[in-house]
Parts: sequence; structure tokens; C-alpha cells
Amino acid sequence: MSILTAQNVEKHFTEGRERVAVLKGIDFAVDRGEIVSLEGPSGSGKTTFLSILGCILTPTKGDVTIDGVTASAKRLNEIRKRSLGFVFQQFNLFPSLTAVENVEYALNVKGVRGAEAHNEANRVIEAVGLADRKRYLPRDLSGGQKQRVAIARALAGSAPILLADEPTANLDSTVGTQVLEMFRALAKKENRALVIVTHDPKVRSIADRVVKIHDGVIE
Amino acid sequence: MVDLATKSLLHDKLRFLITVSGVAFAVTLVFVQVGLFLGLMDNASLTIEHLDADLWVTSHNTANVDFAHTFPETYVKRVREIPGVARADNLIVWFMNVSLPNGAVEGTEVYALEDFERWSFPWNVVEGNRQDLRRGNYFILDDSAKKRWGSFAIGDYREILGRRLKIIGRAVDAKSFTTTPLTFMDYRLAQSLNPSELRGNTTYILVKVAPGASLETVRAELRRRLPYNDVFTGAEWAHRSRSYWVDSTGLGLNMYLTVFLGCLVGIVVVAQTLYTSTMEHIKEFGTVKAIGGGNADIYSILAKQATIAAIAGFALGALMSYALRPVIQKIDLKLVIPTPLSIAVFIGSIVLCLAAAMISFRKVASIDPALVFRA
Repeated sequence: MSILTAQNVEKHFTEGRERVAVLKGIDFAVDRGEIVSLEGPSGSGKTTFLSILGCILTPTKGDVTIDGVTASAKRLNEIRKRSLGFVFQQFNLFPSLTAVENVEYALNVKGVRGAEAHNEANRVIEAVGLADRKRYLPRDLSGGQKQRVAIARALAGSAPILLADEPTANLDSTVGTQVLEMFRALAKKENRALVIVTHDPKVRSIADRVVKIHDGVIE
Repeated sequence: MVDLATKSLLHDKLRFLITVSGVAFAVTLVFVQVGLFLGLMDNASLTIEHLDADLWVTSHNTANVDFAHTFPETYVKRVREIPGVARADNLIVWFMNVSLPNGAVEGTEVYALEDFERWSFPWNVVEGNRQDLRRGNYFILDDSAKKRWGSFAIGDYREILGRRLKIIGRAVDAKSFTTTPLTFMDYRLAQSLNPSELRGNTTYILVKVAPGASLETVRAELRRRLPYNDVFTGAEWAHRSRSYWVDSTGLGLNMYLTVFLGCLVGIVVVAQTLYTSTMEHIKEFGTVKAIGGGNADIYSILAKQATIAAIAGFALGALMSYALRPVIQKIDLKLVIPTPLSIAVFIGSIVLCLAAAMISFRKVASIDPALVFRA
């Protein structure tokens, strides 16, 4: 059974007096443990679609079901807390927190506190190979290391779905490949679904499936 | 639990310093202004509080203890006849001119009693003996006179209203709101210095009620027997004397305005720095929302930062105010910072900082978590 489904998802934005259809009826599903690369040219609607899958935006029409729960406006926060982990293109780490604190804080927001949060944060930081950098602030980490922290933050806790927006866009080719391999290995090991929005052809090499979006529809 | 609020606030040390300085400035301003005001107010009723009188008989509509008016001294006999009165004495408070050895003429505020010892007044005589004031051309001078009159010593003479009087004692802490130096002399001597106004007259009657007697009953009888005078309890008279300066001189308005401006400056600085900080960290707040946090999580971060700024600013401001006390004392002013004022300013600092954070709350409420996907 799919852990994430989107049925007939449409999204319209209003620009001035004009109504622009960004997504035009998308059906999409991801199974537990599956890695999907979501590709498309700029402006194709892939980030908007990722935002809807991530319960950050609501669709104008259609339904999104995450881990058996249909996303409604009132439950978006709760679903994000419980079922989703994010990796962003710009890493979006908290600059005042160390690597391990960035992960622990995300767990705190999800309701995990105390020793449990501390131990889990240390576990995932070690899993992404940053045991020796866990007390470093983001400014003292390289781009690849920052992205590893961001991946650790997404993995922390038990979210069954991981969503990544251009995770290699700010990394050089070698580091990007290393990060992707690591991301794949950890997602597979923990049986998490992973959806990666990307322009980067390297992502295909780690994906189980490639989905292409063009002009708001899946090709 | 990871303390994002504190770590984020302290991460940018310069901004934190600016925020704390803003609060500290406001706190110092309020402490100094209100403290000076309270110090002056203390002086306005200092002599009333140190004269152990239960009731004060004054001429009708006297505004405060310094600006006394005369009435016949024989009224004291009517007072002494009232049952329940243990003691009643005339007191003259009067401004007189003093000719100094350098030729300058200065003012003094004379307190004249028949028996200073009986009223333990002045209360802090550090040289000389107040019993020696009886029936002689002598006076005791408060130490604060040095500033206006120049230095003096026991045994020196000064000319008050044309008569050479010998300084036989030195008091300290006896001050008036007017800052005019206080002198203490025999009641008859004061009358003889200004016979045209004071002969046969007094300016106040001090009344001590007998133990067990009803103050209100004695006061009612005093009012009946002296219908053209006013009768106040010590507390009422002290309050009336202080209120005069607050209400009639604009001093109170000035203090309230300064306190208001201090609060305004503090709130603007804190609001400005918190808002700028919020705008700079908007993506971080968006991330908090994206990973499952709600507005409440972000409000608690901002509220905690505002509270920390308030506490640190209060501590710094209080420290600066206390450090100013000896400096202010050197210019013969008092900075009075009672505990209730400290508590009020502390609570006020927190409330105002939280109010300042409200602007940021409004901004945060409208954060779109989708901004985390924007480069």
C-alpha cells in the first residue's frame, strides 16, 4: 500500500487579475521504502507539487493522503510533525545551533524531549558520518556537511516520508554524489519513502523511479 | 530541550547588546527620574516626618510646610485645654535673610521652637547640643549650608536679619524641598528678629495626643475651637506638602513625561531590534513551521527573547542607577530607589518588552512556510 498518494491534484495561483494553473490534475503515489526522483524544467510546478506533498501548501482541488491520513487544512501541522522530514536546497539550518542541536531541536518541535531526543539526534548525526563534527556550528561546516546535517534532521524521529528539494544544487559533483548515496542507503535501511525534486541527473542513479512533470502534468 | 530562543539571541552579540542597552537606558532613565523625584519629595516632608506630632494646626489653606502663614500664638492655650492633648507647642517656620562674611546675602529657612529637646528636633545633631538653643542669640545650622554659605565652624557668627548670631551646633540631613539651608533657633529669638510679622504670632501648633486618647475626637475639638485654622495629621500634612510641589510646579508632570519618554525609547529600541531580528531570521521561523512547529512555537521564542532582553536590560540599568547614587549624592541630591519601585520597573520592563515583541508576533503569524523552498 502506498504511504503517500496524490489524486487529481490541481493548484491555481492568482497573479494580478490572472488565474494561473500551476498543477493540472496530478495523480501520484509512493510506496514505503521507495525512492522517487521528481524532475522537470524550471516553472514546471515540481516545487509547488512538493510543497503540497509536504503539507506546506494546500491543493486547489484534489486529495493528498499521507500515511493513511487525508491532508486537510486543519491537520497540515500535525501531519508535518508526525510523518514528514524535509531536506532543503539551502539547508536551512539554524545558524546558532550546533549540528547535533539542529537535529535535536527538530525532534523537540515534533514533541520528542529530553534524553530520548538527545540520543536520537546523536544516533542520526553519527549515521550521516558527522560524529566528529556534531558540536560545530553550521558556519564551520562545508556545504556537504551542512547537507548531511539537514538529512540527519529529516531522518530524526520516525517520519516515514522524506521530501528533498534540490538537495545537491549547492554541492559540487563529488560531494553531491556522496550525499545522495548516503541518503539512499539510510532511507532504504530505515524503509523510508524518499521523494527528491531535482534538476540533477545524478539523482536518477539512486532513484527507483523517475517521474517527470511538465507544465503542471505528469508525463 | 534545545533553547533556540537564547542561543539565537546571543548568537548576534552586537544586536543583543543594542537591545539590552535600549532597555537599560530606559530603566536608568526611569530609576534616576523617579529616584530624584522621590528624593526631592522626601525633602519636602522630611521635617514633618521627624517632628513627632500627631496633629498639626496650620493657618487656613497653607499649601506646604515651607510656605507658612502666621496666626496668633495664644491659640496654643486653647489647644492645651482640650482633653486628650498631651502636649502642644508653637512652631515658627520662616524664611530670613543671612548676611555672609563675604558680603553676599543668602536665605535660610528658620525652624523655631521653645524646647527643641522635647521634640527631639533637629533629629541628627552631630556637633553641639540642642538644649543650648534656649534663650540665647544662638542657632544650629544644617551641614548642607556649606554649599550655599561656604564653610562654617562652631563658634562662628552669622548675621541673620541684621543680628549677629553664634553657631552653636551642626545638624545633618535636615533639608527642605526649596534647598534653602535650615537653621534652628529659639522661638522668642525668631520672633525678635522679625517683630513686624512674628511678634505674638506663630505659624504652626504641634500637637501630641495623650496615650489612649482618640485622635479624631481631639481633631474634631480642635476644629471646633479653631474654626479659622486647618488641622492635619502628620501623614496628611506630609502628603499635602509633597502634593503641592507635584501638582503646582509641573514637577510631577515633568517626571511622568520623562518616565513616559523613557518607556517609549525602551519600547521603540526593543521593538525595532526584535523586528529586524525577526525579519533576518524569517527563513529560520519558516523552517520551524516547515518541520512541524506552529505559531505558538515561534511566539514562545520571541517572547523568551524579549523577556531575556528585559531582564538583562533591567539588571544593567539598575546597576548603572545604583552606580550613579554616590555621584548624585555629591551634588546634595538624593536618589531614592525603594523596593516597590524596583519591582514595578522590573515588571514594567518585561511587560514593555513583550509588548514590543507583539509587532514581531504579527509578522510571524503571516509567515508562509513555503518560503523555505525559495533560494
